[in-house]
Amino acid sequence: MKIQNVESMNVEILLLLALAGVAVLSSLAVLLTRDNFYASLYMSATLIMVAAVYALFDLQPVFVLIVFIFVGAIGIVTVALAATYRFAPERQISGLWALPVIITAFILGFSVYTTQLISPEKIQFALENFITPEYLLLILFLTALIILLMLSVLKMGVGEGGRS
Amino acid sequence: MQAIDLSIIYMASFAILLVGYLTAISSKDLIRLLIALELMFGAVFMSLIPLFSAISNAAFGIAIITIFTSSSELLVLIAAIVTLDRQKKNVYTSSVTIGGDKV
Repeated sequence: MKIQNVESMNVEILLLLALAGVAVLSSLAVLLTRDNFYASLYMSATLIMVAAVYALFDLQPVFVLIVFIFVGAIGIVTVALAATYRFAPERQISGLWALPVIITAFILGFSVYTTQLISPEKIQFALENFITPEYLLLILFLTALIILLMLSVLKMGVGEGGRS
Repeated sequence: MQAIDLSIIYMASFAILLVGYLTAISSKDLIRLLIALELMFGAVFMSLIPLFSAISNAAFGIAIITIFTSSSELLVLIAAIVTLDRQKKNVYTSSVTIGGDKV
């Protein structure tokens, strides 16, 4: 029984490493690709991998929120925008940035290696405990904020259209 | 959740955030800036995972607030892209000449 637990733990760590690795690599692809259209596709892949890490820890509601709302709506709008404004790109980044990145990664890796991290508890999350009047009020306020923003954007668009 | 899981999550989150910053400061057009911002929000989502083991309901609330904040921010940026395109006929950040310091 104990061996089985250790094996499942190892598989979980390997899976987490693979998902996090793919997420980091696809985010690097965003930085290195010259075409905005491909950059937006890689960005969507990164976000889906981040959502997959949530699914790995059995946090299904957040997985659904990220994949269907964040990637499904906002990510696709970005992809569409990048496809609309597609043009011949120039080199976006100087190679000199590699030096501070390597130094920072080394310092971070060394500090994580030398620090004794406290093991947090196992994740136990149930959505039914979340729906309280306070959070409903919060969601209501945030929805109102989005509607206000959309109205101001619409007004801006109509104003621009009217002038032209 | 083990300490090694925590390390992997924080390292990956930091790496994605760093790439997001690099993409943002090296971007020459607003579309790339939009993509960089979304990457940064992806890193924020990733760093929220360990919070679910301690205060799960509050973490879910923070995740919802992050999604709403990012949606609002991206909505405004998309409106800015469309407005800039109408006014300047391009989406390059170099065409924004108002504000900022000159060295």
